[in-house]
Amino acid sequence: MRDNYWEKRYDRKGFVAISAMTAFLAACGGSTTAEEEPAAPATTGGTAKPEVEDTLFYYNWAAYVNDETYKRFEEEFGATVKKDFYASNEDLLAKMQGGARGYDLVVPTGYMIQIMAEEGFLTEIDWSQLPNVQENIDPKFQGLPYDPDDKWSVPKDWGTTGFVYRTDLVKEKPTTWREFFDLAKGPYSGKVTVLDGIPELVGSTLVMLGYSFNSEDEGELEEAKQELLALKPHLLAITSTEYKQMVIDGKAVMALGWNGDGAAVAAEKPAEYIVAEEGGEFWVDAYAIPTGNEHPNAAHAWINFVYDPEINALETSYTYYGSPLKRELLDGVLDDEILSNTDVFPEPDTVANLEPNSVSPEGTELRDRIWTEFKAA
Amino acid sequence: MGKRLLQAHSLLVYLFLYAPIAVVVIFAFNGGRQVLNWDGFSTKWFGEALADPTITEPFKNSLLIAFGNAILACILGTALALALARLRPWLRAPIDALVYMTLVTPEIVFGIAALMFFVQLGNWLSLGSILGLWTILLAHVVFNASVVALIVRARFVGMGQSLEEASFDLGAGPLSTFRQVTLPRLAPAILAGGLLAFTFSFDDFITSFFVSGAGTTTLPLRIFSSLRFGISPIVNAAAAMILALTLLSIVAAYLVLRRTAQMRREATVIPGV
Amino acid sequence: MRRRGAIRAGPRYPGWLALPALGYYGLFFLAPLVLMGAVALSERVGHIDFVYALNFDNFKVLWDPLYGEIFLRTLRLALFGTVAALLVGFPLAYYIARYAKRKTLLLLLVVVPFWTSFLIRTYSWLIILDPDFPALRALKWMGVLADDFSVLYTPTAVYIGVVYTYLPLMVLPIYATLERMDWSLVEAAEDLGDPPLRAFRRITLPLAVPGVLAGSLLVFIPLMGEYLNPVILGGDKTIYAGNLIGLQFGSSRNWPFGATIALVLIALMTLAVLAFIRLARREEQYG
Repeated sequence: MRDNYWEKRYDRKGFVAISAMTAFLAACGGSTTAEEEPAAPATTGGTAKPEVEDTLFYYNWAAYVNDETYKRFEEEFGATVKKDFYASNEDLLAKMQGGARGYDLVVPTGYMIQIMAEEGFLTEIDWSQLPNVQENIDPKFQGLPYDPDDKWSVPKDWGTTGFVYRTDLVKEKPTTWREFFDLAKGPYSGKVTVLDGIPELVGSTLVMLGYSFNSEDEGELEEAKQELLALKPHLLAITSTEYKQMVIDGKAVMALGWNGDGAAVAAEKPAEYIVAEEGGEFWVDAYAIPTGNEHPNAAHAWINFVYDPEINALETSYTYYGSPLKRELLDGVLDDEILSNTDVFPEPDTVANLEPNSVSPEGTELRDRIWTEFKAA
Repeated sequence: MGKRLLQAHSLLVYLFLYAPIAVVVIFAFNGGRQVLNWDGFSTKWFGEALADPTITEPFKNSLLIAFGNAILACILGTALALALARLRPWLRAPIDALVYMTLVTPEIVFGIAALMFFVQLGNWLSLGSILGLWTILLAHVVFNASVVALIVRARFVGMGQSLEEASFDLGAGPLSTFRQVTLPRLAPAILAGGLLAFTFSFDDFITSFFVSGAGTTTLPLRIFSSLRFGISPIVNAAAAMILALTLLSIVAAYLVLRRTAQMRREATVIPGV
Repeated sequence: MRRRGAIRAGPRYPGWLALPALGYYGLFFLAPLVLMGAVALSERVGHIDFVYALNFDNFKVLWDPLYGEIFLRTLRLALFGTVAALLVGFPLAYYIARYAKRKTLLLLLVVVPFWTSFLIRTYSWLIILDPDFPALRALKWMGVLADDFSVLYTPTAVYIGVVYTYLPLMVLPIYATLERMDWSLVEAAEDLGDPPLRAFRRITLPLAVPGVLAGSLLVFIPLMGEYLNPVILGGDKTIYAGNLIGLQFGSSRNWPFGATIALVLIALMTLAVLAFIRLARREEQYG
């Protein structure tokens, strides 16, 4: 039953993907096949285990990896993790466009995987190096539409875009985007933040107006723009990185943000994370290996490493984002409280109402323009 | 009465100028993790900053770039200053204009132009991405060579050239004239220019931001990125140490330059570039 | 005749000494700017790419009210910063030049902040302007400031930041002109019963004009391309021309458009500087 929402969202593409992946693996000449119980790392069908380089250059969202995971990885493989951070998918793309090379591992959101793959910024995933993934991944995370053949990416985690508010400081109980906007423009003016991300902000506003998260209709986008321009003067900040702390400190009382941050706030202060009734974004962030990387084996080793249930539990208990591992594998290793937390693992009914971001270059350009106006206002 | 008022005003201005510096230093000694919640006096963040490779690594990068930049800028700028002093006006005017252009072009404009240029250059030479320490250094030198040229030239013109004349008349070549006559007298100006070039480069954010590649982080870039992810006490400590370092080098430079008679002139010329 | 010319031209260092620097400027300064011009005329395709073309569409920015507003706002910021720095800086320069005993030291104290990390000083204002900063809390407790006083991440914070950043650039040239003044003239005028303000207007001010103009130029020019203060102290909420350019090379990923705005900005600045120079020339002739 749980699986329904995935099929609803992603049709039957998952099926196609699995068979495609099998074919792909077979074509690569690896002696293991996906159907077979993918064996423990040591017995990867006779081929020598590729040597992990001494460094992993990990370009990632900030605060998206448990410090403990870095430590364990470094101990296990004797490799140093070099870190750099970006604040939005668009920043990551801009950095690649600007010619930055040498990153071994990045974590874009689904739609950005597609764009980066089209632009030739990604290298293919070598599945033979990922026995843990093959064994432990929940099949509904395979063959997702942004990467139907699982050629470019491996899911890291998934979540929703909604808003969080302090229940002790906001006496109304907002449940919709409309209420969020109205409260932000009313009693809580100057104490509200929104994400510094084009799709999240424009898409959520479109949804509030009753349109698709991915609308490319100029009239609808114009309406969304007007809403955003009206909201702008009431915002404390436009940030994807600092709002968690701001809400915890009480400098902000409401924030448009992601579920993991919402859950993290709720873990420290009386607060609630809301997936708006109108809907919103459902997203999957995925590991990908950019072109120009220098330590591909270390990148694969990392992906494989975090697909170990115990390590994965470390990650989930730090980020508060849903894990793509089979649920039964997390039972026992992940804190029950987190496993049953619907902020971290949203209910199927909730997710059924959401859309993943997916916009054409033309739609993106319209959004960029709105973004400039929003920032300029 | 007017004097008292002016004095009070000046006092307030100095307070305005130094309060931020004082605040960074004071809060660097805050033992708590929350920057604004005073949690006892502690020097532990200094130790942590010095042990944190994500701070020491960029610090080394910044030193390397600033140093290389200063040397290159001194060579190019001094040579240019010497040449400019004798060029005919019709030749000198456009060069002057070019030098001033490098100084007044908004950094953001130059930064993006340099970014596009280096990316294209990498493509044309089939080198792929060439962004890194070198591109930052090369980009910094543009501005700083002009800074050095201006300072050295002001001094060169100001000190009169009868000694050089004599040296040339006695048959000495340009090289030995430079070494024996000009360099000793220009040294303070070149040193001042080099010091400025070093500081500007060490401090630069915008140009570095655009022409740095993957993983070549300078100290200002590191501080900026930590700002986006919330102020941390470690960064406060690092900032305090940088301030102390700059202040020390300024005092040192001041003492060195004071020995040369022209101190006052330089102090006026330098920052007004 | 030739001999005289040689003396006036200075010592005989060969002209080719200029070549290394000129080559350097050509390669790493002019070539990038020319390339920027070419990119401004190119056409954007897909999510990030562009092809070189002769496409003037980007220059529509010139009569788009949105971008006009940003340029106007930038101009306002630059003018405000210049005037405020003048109002704060002139009395200081005047005090040092006329009354202070340890002139060099006081002047050095103005310069030192300018030499220390710009980023760190700006960042420090984040702490000072935080509503929880002890001094602000004290002022609120005393009732000097309203309880909900908060300027962090507002244009006000940006304005404070730019005055702070550029003040030294205003003080120094003004001091340089005032230092050369003959104060006995002023004193004589004051002794003769001229009210101080009138003596100031008639004697000090005309002499200080070149310094004021130079200082204004030094503050105004970088302010037109201001980038960091709005990002840090303004919370990246209100953007100026420099940020608009930066945005096109960041999340908006539109290099051709960013290059175009950069060209427009340079053109505007050149106009402003030319106007300034004309003004300065007039002052020199009649002032």
